[in-house]
Amino acid sequence: MSQTITPDRLLEERGETRTLDGFVVGAAYDRSGNLAFALGDGSVHIVRKGGEWQKVAAHEGAAMAIAADSRAAGWVTGGDDGRFVRVSTDGTVSAIAEFGMMKWVEHVAATTDGKGVLACSVGKAVHVFDGAGTKLKTVQHPSSVTGLVFDAKGKRFAASHYNGASVWFVASKTDNPRKLEWKGSHIGIAMSPDGDCVVTAMQENSLHGWRLSDGQHMRMTGYPAKTMALSFTKNGKWLASSGADSIVMWPFHGGGPMGKPPTELAGGDGVNCTRVAAHPTHDAIAAGFADGLVVMADINSARILPVAAAGRGPISALAWSPDGTHLAFGTEAGFAAVVDFSKRS
Amino acid sequence: MSETKAPEGELVPVTVLTGYLGAGKTTLLNRILTENHGKKYAVVINEFGELGVDNDLVVDTDEEVFEMNNGCICCTVRGDLIRIVGGLMKRRDKFDGIIVETTGLANPAPVAQTFFVDEDVRAKTRLDAIITVVDAKHLPARLADSHEAEDQIAFADVIVLNKMDLVSADEAKEVEATIRKINKFAKIHHATKSDVPIAELLNQGAFDLNRVLDHTPDFLTDNEHEHNDDIASMSFELETPIDPERFNAWIGALLAEKGQDLLRTKGILSYAGEDRRFAFQAVHMIADGDFIGPWKEGDPRTSRLVFIGRNLNRPQLRRGFESCQME
Repeated sequence: MSQTITPDRLLEERGETRTLDGFVVGAAYDRSGNLAFALGDGSVHIVRKGGEWQKVAAHEGAAMAIAADSRAAGWVTGGDDGRFVRVSTDGTVSAIAEFGMMKWVEHVAATTDGKGVLACSVGKAVHVFDGAGTKLKTVQHPSSVTGLVFDAKGKRFAASHYNGASVWFVASKTDNPRKLEWKGSHIGIAMSPDGDCVVTAMQENSLHGWRLSDGQHMRMTGYPAKTMALSFTKNGKWLASSGADSIVMWPFHGGGPMGKPPTELAGGDGVNCTRVAAHPTHDAIAAGFADGLVVMADINSARILPVAAAGRGPISALAWSPDGTHLAFGTEAGFAAVVDFSKRS
Repeated sequence: MSETKAPEGELVPVTVLTGYLGAGKTTLLNRILTENHGKKYAVVINEFGELGVDNDLVVDTDEEVFEMNNGCICCTVRGDLIRIVGGLMKRRDKFDGIIVETTGLANPAPVAQTFFVDEDVRAKTRLDAIITVVDAKHLPARLADSHEAEDQIAFADVIVLNKMDLVSADEAKEVEATIRKINKFAKIHHATKSDVPIAELLNQGAFDLNRVLDHTPDFLTDNEHEHNDDIASMSFELETPIDPERFNAWIGALLAEKGQDLLRTKGILSYAGEDRRFAFQAVHMIADGDFIGPWKEGDPRTSRLVFIGRNLNRPQLRRGFESCQME
């Protein structure tokens, strides 16, 4: 007897869902496997390992960004109330820095290797802190920072802005970045796991990349919409991106991505992909779409596993747990869910 | 992304507030933020120091203009606004509109073009009006020494002619005539200390050309031939329905060729076989169009097109527009 597989089956059988009050701005797992959603109403919803949910008020306006803390547990968030805060797994909220009303803390990042460095962007500035929250330095950019990322070792960070990106050494005493130049408005950034490639999303529906070792430029074009999400696979062989009606996968191996067409997964229904998240261990990508559909795609077999059906709002947040057993997602309409992929005996 | 485009009525109206330094923009903004009008506005400003209010919906930004890489030299966009609109849309406390203040010397084109160019901004907002605050006493001097003052008047849908208490009746007439020479179509409010009722400025759908033309006195629809560097405005009307394909071909070529000189192009068109009005507008080379409400029962379905810009050639524009008629 065959069983009908509905697109919502995984969510129904293995999911924990909530309808929350605001736009889900982001989701992040800390290194211990606790999850948090940051929302447009300024709240952070903690989902402790084991499944207990707790709502805490972190920002007065909207939360704008969330990242796992550089510590083993907890998160850092930025808000449009000008605050850069730390949220502990017990729900304690403590301010790391306050920049004043109207100074949006738009991007946050933290090292994940135990070095304990935190960073946030406010306008053209990136502020860097040690793990205790003490300011290390502030660096300036030619225009507002639109994306902020640490390399895998936590030694450098990169920020995107108009006409390119800047790569800074955390420990450097001289404040001169490596300038990566390409004319236009760059609106998001990613770094390859080996730290050799920086890729930005551009206003004109394309990606631009730089290989740091030899200065090679990489242009990746053909998107019908802006790319809002970039995610390298763990081994660095593929860069997954949103901005088309499929998951667009650029090969960062075998001489690519230059001169190679991207691989497209889970496409064909005319609805744009809005978020992608590479699995932390396997060659698989989770993707969310503008109609609310969430899927997991196996890169090598191109098999697609539906995770959640369309209809709960455009997917605006997507994150894997560090061990790859849980996938969290949220939507613009305030729907939030965690799906358990772990083996069951 | 059509699936995320909100219906017209749910799009957040955006008002762009321009005006030369000292014209009274800040006074007007302060009124919008403090008066008890029962509406909530998000305000994007550049120089917070001048505003005397504390409001969590005021956003401070630097005007960050970039050139699009689309080969169009006048296609400049405010990237900071794209980010801010995106950020505001995530907030739970919804507001009735967004007001964008530009610096005194700013060219309004990049702000207006931002609302045509970015898909995400277009999906959530609509450009309601460009309001220019003008100092009645000092306008002649401003026009004499700056290009920007003229551009700001040319771009306006609504003009607040401020500081009227400082000019005589004759001076007032003269300054209004000067404005009308540049822009025949904007609605003009006389004001002292920017005292125009806020309800008459915001969320007016000032783009609706039928209303704009209703405010245009007859004596201004002159036929003089303009051919110089001064900004002028011209309007054209057709009773015969328009062939959409011909119109698109003609206006596309015209904007591509003369877009730098054409500051604003706006029109309400009667397409053949269509009961709804088609609204067209462009800032320089960037155009946008959509069907709006139906023609009123019994009203003549007159297509109107207006141009505000430099080096306008009336016979050529008229012939071009006439060539778009359905045969």
